[in-house]
Amino acid sequence: MLLFFHIPALTTTLLTVIIAIVTLLGIMIRPYRWNEAIFALSGAALLLIIGLISPVKAFLTLYSDWNIFFFFLGMMSLSALAETAGMFDWLAAQAARLAGGSTRRLFLNTFLLGTMISMVLSNDATALILTPIVYTLVTRLRLPVLPFLFACTFIADTASFLLPVSNPINIIILTRFQLDLWTFLRLLLLPSILVIGMNIGLFFLLYRKQIRGRFDAKRLPSADESIKHAAYFRYTCSVLIIVAIAYITASALQIPLSLVSISGALLLLLGALKWRQITVRGLGGQISWSIFGFIAGMFIVVQAVEGTGLTAQFGQLLLHLSGGSSFGAVMVGTAGAAVGTNIINNLPMAVVLRSSLVGVQHIAPAARLGFIAATMFGCDLGPNLTTVGSLATVLWLLILRRRNLDVSGLDYFKVGILVTPLMLVAGALLIWLLLLL
Amino acid sequence: MRVLCCLDGTNIEQISTTVSTMLRADNLTLALVYVIDQGPRGEMERQRERFFRSPELKPRHKEQMQKAENATAQDILDEGTRYLSGATLFKREGNPEREIVRLADEWLADLVVLCSRSTISDGPTIGPKSVGHTARFVVDHAPCPVLLVRKQFRALV
Repeated sequence: MLLFFHIPALTTTLLTVIIAIVTLLGIMIRPYRWNEAIFALSGAALLLIIGLISPVKAFLTLYSDWNIFFFFLGMMSLSALAETAGMFDWLAAQAARLAGGSTRRLFLNTFLLGTMISMVLSNDATALILTPIVYTLVTRLRLPVLPFLFACTFIADTASFLLPVSNPINIIILTRFQLDLWTFLRLLLLPSILVIGMNIGLFFLLYRKQIRGRFDAKRLPSADESIKHAAYFRYTCSVLIIVAIAYITASALQIPLSLVSISGALLLLLGALKWRQITVRGLGGQISWSIFGFIAGMFIVVQAVEGTGLTAQFGQLLLHLSGGSSFGAVMVGTAGAAVGTNIINNLPMAVVLRSSLVGVQHIAPAARLGFIAATMFGCDLGPNLTTVGSLATVLWLLILRRRNLDVSGLDYFKVGILVTPLMLVAGALLIWLLLLL
Repeated sequence: MRVLCCLDGTNIEQISTTVSTMLRADNLTLALVYVIDQGPRGEMERQRERFFRSPELKPRHKEQMQKAENATAQDILDEGTRYLSGATLFKREGNPEREIVRLADEWLADLVVLCSRSTISDGPTIGPKSVGHTARFVVDHAPCPVLLVRKQFRALV
């Protein structure tokens, strides 16, 4: 509407900011537990209706980010189809078998399995699919559940910057800032290994009493029990190995990663259909479609804010705070991303930060790289601080606690607040050192 | 006397020793309860929301988890009957402390026996904070006396 009238720039800026803030508040607070997509899409629709962003601009924004949408689709499909084959159950059963009855070794294997799954199938797969499977396994083994649950939750994020595909957040950032695989690995592989090691070490220390002793291996399910169809299972293993290699090759050649994830998912779907393991409708039911609405809405809202020049100013503020040095860039980038992800969740925060970093001008290449790497690092690892996603959830848990209700979420919070800052500081320092090389 | 013994899968020896050495009433009616804690499930649901999924766990996961929980609960209760034969068995689901208090009320328990904290927990076994949150809640809210069992540091006389 406003497109047809002349409105002072200050008014459009104010209106855009108000709509963006209300949208973010809606996502954070989620009144009546409404889906986040409703708020993101409502914010975007309002901006379009009022004319604070043109339909063409909105379309171009979404079009330029096609790789992200298809990557999400491919990633969710791959995980769902691998789960249908019984891949996760089989891997968990193998991890338990290899532990040879030692609870400590099973604990270590849980971390290693989570790392492997996050690396290839992204952190979603570890947090959402592996966790219930590990819960079932340790319940059957009569082992304390919480340390293993924490292990899955934490390692999902801790191991999510080993490769660009290990977390969709990386793809969101890398779509704007083309970083070749070598640079990605040079800056993030060693910090990733360091924080994974720290995560494992600190957890072994924290849960030393609970993970001592042995479990009765007779209670273990047989590995064959988890395989529903042997031929489809073997086919899934082969396809996933090819997908893992293709991910690395595509990253090195800077080919959009969504092409790999979608192709892999199609191959698995063909196999699943051939061996009648799933239907297209069944697969559709396992995909969270609302996430696409959420991302689309967020992209449009942030694009409108970017149009006002505010995100560029925020970027300049970050640059000012960093003092223009690579050390400052890594520290400010990590801290800003980590705190932000715990206030508004890591996905919106990544969208806001990537928009802000575009506005960072006149900066040394090393400092710029530092900001990009730190944003991925902070947005990927940051959620472990509260693990429940946002400040609003933490506050809600605290309120429940005050009403004398026991809330396990607060136990997560205590562990997160203890372990994550150490990992953030150590990882950020290592990123900075690697920037100097 | 109706005595409700609360099991957690690690404390049956402690509880049975206490019951057999300290409670010598002729008309002792025993019950064993094990509560399947739904807290971890709630946590998994919160995790799903963090990743922008519906909180509801997948039916397949739910079914697998329920099966494992029920089998383990039965296992723990069966083990309990090997120590305290003839006891009535109760399997509950929910928040352990609340379920114990509720059952003590429903079953008209005269005494609740439970450990001060899990034998494998990281908390101190004696001194401040040696009573875990479950035991603390039961002590605060039970409708009858509560016998708190802790690790024996010296031999019973």
